[in-house]
Amino acid sequence: MNRRTVNTWGQTLGLAAVVMTVIILMGTFNVVTMALALLVAAVVFFVLRAALDLTGRDRSDRPPAYRDVKVIALGAQIFAVAALHTFLAYLWQNFKDRTDDIGLNLSFDFLDQPGGITIADNPLSANDQVNEAIRAGFENTIRIIILGIPLALVVGTLVGIARLSSNWLLQKIATLYVEAFRNIPVLVVILIAWSVYLNALPPANEGSRKPLGGWFIFNNSRFSFPSIKGLDNWEAYRGLMLVALLIAIGVWIWRTYVFNETGTPHRRTLWSIGTFVGIGAVLFVAFGGPFEVSKPFVDESGRIYTDGLRMQMPFAAIFTGLVVYTATHISEIVRGSILAVHKGQDEAANALALSGIQRYRFVILPQALRIAFPPLINQFLNFTKNSSLAIAIGFAEVTAVINNLFGQSQPAPQLILILMLSYLVLSLILSVIGNLINRRLQLVGR
Amino acid sequence: MNRIDHSADAVSAMITAGVDKGAPSTKLPPGQWMKKNLFNNWYNSAITVVMGALIVALLVGVVQWIANTDFAIIRKSLRLFMIGQYPRDELTRLWVSFLLMAATLGFTSGATAHNAYEDALEKELPAERPTWLGLLRRFWAIVAILVFFVSFARTLPPYLGLAAVFVTLVVTRELGWRLPRAVRDRAPFIGTGLGITSFLAIAGTGGLGRWAIGILFAAWTVFEIGRRDVPSDHRGTAIRAGAALVVGGIAFFIVHALGIEGYGWDDWGGLHLNIFVTVVGLGLGLPFGILLALGRRSELPIIKAASVLFIEFVRGVPLISLLLFSNLMLGLFFPLGSELPSELTLAMIVIMGFSAAYIAEIVRGGLQSVPKGQIEAAQASGLSPGAVQRLVVLPQALRNVIPAMVGQFISLFKDTSLLSIIGVIEILNVSAIANAQTEFIGKGLAVVTYPFVALAFWAFAYTMSKESRRLETKLGVGTR
Repeated sequence: MNRRTVNTWGQTLGLAAVVMTVIILMGTFNVVTMALALLVAAVVFFVLRAALDLTGRDRSDRPPAYRDVKVIALGAQIFAVAALHTFLAYLWQNFKDRTDDIGLNLSFDFLDQPGGITIADNPLSANDQVNEAIRAGFENTIRIIILGIPLALVVGTLVGIARLSSNWLLQKIATLYVEAFRNIPVLVVILIAWSVYLNALPPANEGSRKPLGGWFIFNNSRFSFPSIKGLDNWEAYRGLMLVALLIAIGVWIWRTYVFNETGTPHRRTLWSIGTFVGIGAVLFVAFGGPFEVSKPFVDESGRIYTDGLRMQMPFAAIFTGLVVYTATHISEIVRGSILAVHKGQDEAANALALSGIQRYRFVILPQALRIAFPPLINQFLNFTKNSSLAIAIGFAEVTAVINNLFGQSQPAPQLILILMLSYLVLSLILSVIGNLINRRLQLVGR
Repeated sequence: MNRIDHSADAVSAMITAGVDKGAPSTKLPPGQWMKKNLFNNWYNSAITVVMGALIVALLVGVVQWIANTDFAIIRKSLRLFMIGQYPRDELTRLWVSFLLMAATLGFTSGATAHNAYEDALEKELPAERPTWLGLLRRFWAIVAILVFFVSFARTLPPYLGLAAVFVTLVVTRELGWRLPRAVRDRAPFIGTGLGITSFLAIAGTGGLGRWAIGILFAAWTVFEIGRRDVPSDHRGTAIRAGAALVVGGIAFFIVHALGIEGYGWDDWGGLHLNIFVTVVGLGLGLPFGILLALGRRSELPIIKAASVLFIEFVRGVPLISLLLFSNLMLGLFFPLGSELPSELTLAMIVIMGFSAAYIAEIVRGGLQSVPKGQIEAAQASGLSPGAVQRLVVLPQALRNVIPAMVGQFISLFKDTSLLSIIGVIEILNVSAIANAQTEFIGKGLAVVTYPFVALAFWAFAYTMSKESRRLETKLGVGTR
């Protein structure tokens, strides 16, 4: 019996397995049909086998059916499918019974109904549809992620480097910080941040703290920061600044090209920032001031906030907590990957008389980044998932919004499905981006 | 990182110190030490000054805060923090359970430590007999925190209880160390038996406990049959397996017949519940996790797809959404008309699945770390596919993932704090309850209770993470 026939056999069995699976999945299913399916599979196999024997091929090198790996594999799969299907069908039946019993509608029509919830600092009204509320929550989740992940990365990297510093005090403080916060649940870190803010800051109606001449306002319901307020020409100015950004990128590419061709120092960062700021300044004068810096303001009662950029207290708390917690983990990754860079690299850089910062900037960190990146993606995913803890302090991100919607007696199964899917989609997007970057970072060749 | 010092003295110092980087610095006089480690160039000096000022300010702030804060809330709610709403007149049971738990830990650690010590001697590897001082150094955080917690109590029993727990630990560890090898080899089973008994002491003998005993002894029987390291004939194997089965059967029926009423875990709470949920979640998640890992590595497409789907789904969503699922939806999957389990039980089912998915990924890493030659050699010596996994791959894989498993234990322990969100009275939720008591409400005492809770989590997690790092170096993970 040659190799080809064995493969044909395998394919026949594989086909049989697929057919069986389809039969099992289509029919209503119970233990009797499961036994029947196994029986049918056995019969199919033995018939096929007998048919092969009848053709008069040599059967001496084939094991008996019960020890044939292909038979065992097929049997195992049919059994697994049958068992899984039986179990899931049982659960589904129970689910149907229970939801019918309490009269729960399993359609997604509720998404167009009024949600009945409001979100702080959001124009959403109680009459707005459920899907708009969920979208607003999702936007808040994205807000935490976009602000938090870069900051956690920066803090984590600095702390990771600090732990390897030759300065004894800095090293000890960094170690203390990491060991303290890494071993506390992130929820507790968030709650501590929250309670500290609540206690250390005055209530809004008793006067806020206004450091730096009132450019910043802190009280225990909101943090306010100065921001940019656009005037009449703002739209046009912003469009032109976008063009300026493109020009700056062009300058960057040009300087890189010049460096590659002639070897003169590129100074591309300086050049492109200079271009951008230069164009911006010229346009600012030309437009006669398209924007002004807006100073935050809060009235005596602490209810009316105008101008500036506002941050709700719960947002500030979850932001602080997540950054403080995630940065400890990132610092461990950064430290580990710096240590994993071969010692000779540092010594060689030292021998070339590079300064400490230069050694890190040009020799160690680029190589460490390559090692650190995959676990870093993991931390970013954790950050995303941990942002759901905002539910504990009432910041209206997607989990909290969905939890509030339960309170408005919206159907739980659909909402939970939406909640899980939204995090799965976020995780997927983050890991796809991460893997794309990772592929570019990895060494090619060898 | 250290700048190379070209002065002849430093070079000779390094040579005499055996180029040990750390050693010379400790022997420097204070002035030189400070110059080398704090003020070796302009930016390090700046950092030292800024950081020094920062830390002094921080210390002063913390000391002032501690001096001005009234810790009455901790004193009043200490019992609530530790054991939740467990019935007051049944505390003896709880202490018995704690003593049995201490016995479990003491016995298992003593026996495994002695086994590891003997194995190391046999292989002529550097072996150190663990000393009590060394153990105290490893576990100081937990001991300190327990003593600190008890120091809030105004009555005698907690002190006596804690002392009894420590004495039990010491005695059982000595016992575990001194027993003969044959007993020590079975320490995991004896330890688990003690652990289950400690559970039964609180929960009574009516519920799941007797099944746990039954499963334990069934597993022990299988283990005795599967033992290959003791040369014995079929009769010897039968006697060993039969003995385990008979003892198990007797134990099962004794437990069954005793019929002591108890308090199920719905009445438990506080730190006790956090630890219990962690242990049970990880213990029950482990077998499923191993199965999922094997399923994910399987060549059978359907089994592989199902495993991958489960693992990736659970790992892709936050634990909160799973807990909300358990709270709002899991009950819908029980047959109509049947009585629903409590919220905590439902949550524990979800936590079990959650930890199984994470354990599966850890075990998969371990399976990948086993060299392919091992599997090929096992196949070449005629082992069946099952035997290859059971006898060759899994033992090596699981040994490699012990540190990662400890890491998972820590993270699950920290994650039990999320149970507070669905209303389980574990330690974090207790701080909310304590703050809601009429005498403390509205006084902003969350700043006191949350750090207290943080301290409890910190002591255990910190000790475990140090242990995990120690195990990593000891087992040589990643260096082979």
